[in-house]
Amino acid sequence: MRSSHRLAFLFLLPSLIFVGLFAFYPIFESFRLSFYRSILTLPWLGQKMVGWENYTDLWTDPVAAESLRTTLFFVVTTIPLELGVGLGMALVMNEVFRGRGLLRAVVLIPWAIPTVVSSQMWRFIFNDRYGLFNFVLFGGDASRYLAPLADPTLALLAIIVAEVWKTAPFVALIVLAGLQTIPDELYEAASIDGATAWQQFRRMTLPLIRPALLLALLFRTIDALRVFDLVFVMTQGGPADATNVLSFYGYKKIFAEGMVGYGSAIAVGVFLISLILSLAYLRILKSSRLEGTSR
Amino acid sequence: MFQARNLCHVTALIFLCSLGNSFAAETQLRFVTWKSETAQMWDQPIADFEKQNPGVKVIREIGPQSSTQLHDLITQKLKNRDTQMDVFVMDVIWPAEFASAGWALPLDRFFTLAEQKQFLDAPIQANHYRGQIFGVPLFVDAGLLYYRKDLLEKYGIPPPRTWPELVEEAKTILAQEKDPQLVGFSGQFKQYEGLICNMMEYILSNGGNLWDDQRLVSTLNQPRALAAVRFVRDRIIGQIAHRGVLAYEEPESLVLFTEGRAIFHRNWPYAWNVANDSQRSKVTGKIGMMPLPSFPGGKGVAALGGWQLAISRFSKKSELAWRFVAFMTSHAMQKRVTLSTGRAPARAALYSDREVLDQLPQLKSLWETFKQAVPRPTTPVYVPLSNIMQRYFSSVLALPHTNIDKRAALAARDMDRVLDLVREAPAP
Repeated sequence: MRSSHRLAFLFLLPSLIFVGLFAFYPIFESFRLSFYRSILTLPWLGQKMVGWENYTDLWTDPVAAESLRTTLFFVVTTIPLELGVGLGMALVMNEVFRGRGLLRAVVLIPWAIPTVVSSQMWRFIFNDRYGLFNFVLFGGDASRYLAPLADPTLALLAIIVAEVWKTAPFVALIVLAGLQTIPDELYEAASIDGATAWQQFRRMTLPLIRPALLLALLFRTIDALRVFDLVFVMTQGGPADATNVLSFYGYKKIFAEGMVGYGSAIAVGVFLISLILSLAYLRILKSSRLEGTSR
Repeated sequence: MFQARNLCHVTALIFLCSLGNSFAAETQLRFVTWKSETAQMWDQPIADFEKQNPGVKVIREIGPQSSTQLHDLITQKLKNRDTQMDVFVMDVIWPAEFASAGWALPLDRFFTLAEQKQFLDAPIQANHYRGQIFGVPLFVDAGLLYYRKDLLEKYGIPPPRTWPELVEEAKTILAQEKDPQLVGFSGQFKQYEGLICNMMEYILSNGGNLWDDQRLVSTLNQPRALAAVRFVRDRIIGQIAHRGVLAYEEPESLVLFTEGRAIFHRNWPYAWNVANDSQRSKVTGKIGMMPLPSFPGGKGVAALGGWQLAISRFSKKSELAWRFVAFMTSHAMQKRVTLSTGRAPARAALYSDREVLDQLPQLKSLWETFKQAVPRPTTPVYVPLSNIMQRYFSSVLALPHTNIDKRAALAARDMDRVLDLVREAPAP
């Protein structure tokens, strides 16, 4: 018994070291740095322990507050859209029809393109002079062309559109996996009992793919909270700071301004928000699994 | 057993290979810079340098074109004390930061005072930090006003001397031309470093300033600075310039001008060659270039830009690195690169060189502008200050109903906090 435990531990060791080195160490280091005043461009100030100062600064920083609002707005608008569009795509892909294989492959393309590339594409689409967006809306009438990336409200919406376009296929993939575990006999039985298509969807499909939906929700929420690349390529946080999401703000503090301590405090903030949300989701996920087995 | 022996062989092989590498006769010099569209900018000078220095291979690492993003890449290498990078290009606003952080090598022992005098004064000043020099100027840039000579002549309008004149002239022409594609003005108003250059030209030409370099306090909330910002918001953005400029960097704003869709255009000297290249421009021969206007009673101000060469403090080949820097910034090389690319050189003598002026007559008129161009104040905390100012400018320009006074006061308070950090900076 003992030796098998040891063997198990030995087998786990490589992954433990890996996770420790690449996940726990950076998190720990961010926590540590967030209690220091460390400014790379002013080395004579040294690394001074300042306790909670970075956090109290963060709490009263209007830019950070605005950035948090922007990030949360981004999360609560993209997630329902992604889930809705993704669910629709999955339902279509789950039907049996000619060319289904091709469709499944095509639908995944947005997810497969590196975000930096697709962000650049969306930047062109939303260009105020030759962008496809204006052409579709107004045709050749250049006098009515909008400049979405130059307008604080539209710029954020443009980034939301790009995000939904990119990640709805991911949601579709997870939901599709859930749909395929539902046996056809269930639907046959329901049809014989006289259930309408809507009733079947509402009473059978939806509850049975609930775990898959929750999983998608969990992944997407954490990912959306950390959105960075779309902003980096499309707007650089502007105009008027309207797209200055938390990850980008933290990045600028650490990498451009060299404010390592303060930037780390922002990173820890993002980490804590995602951690709390993940734990909440995991609880729901667990209870929904239990419901599933008890039935 | 067999496998273990194999492993030994492989290890030995790898070891031998790496030994072989370090014994190679070639010395490598790594140079980090931005990409150029023409081979004359980097490739040919580097090939010449290699020819003159047998056994030396210059590895050119290409970074992003945007100064802000290149800054992130280069500082990342310097933070990590990367010994690979030897020489790098440096934007005119970086020397103080790189000097203070201990990233750039002081060049005083190589770069003599007599030699420094051969260059334009403003970029030499910008490369100084607390009495030492950290970069050798390569090119200079300064803000200029481009205009459609044909349109101004058509309506008998003289080039504008003041900003309000420019607005009125643009309006007159727009009203007569009745072309929905035409705008009065294009410049760079995206939330990025270029916004600081553009806005500083308005503020300084109204007698204001960004911050007081001596007393280390922000001056953004003083009346003259406020008035200039208000002018840009109320008379330019959404008026003679369409709101799209709020997302424009240099390339987008220039395309508008080269397509013949802007009457006035603010840009750096490189735009002259682009706008006169019939392959890329529809306004060849129809344009003029002049110093930027001022506000009534003020003096026109051009923001100083430009690139320098610097040596990393972590380079193990500083002597060779200096030889490369000296070669790239030598009189002969600057002349050749100037002639082939049209970029404005940092060496003063080239502005009276017959051959250069014959080919690039515009340099003569640029001379005065370059001599008077104003650098952004040098400080190791330039980036945080710039981010605060970018936020302020972008907010008041993009949100027309915000209270400028209030926003300026907030920005000034944030800037003062940052400036307080450098109050007691010791000499490096």
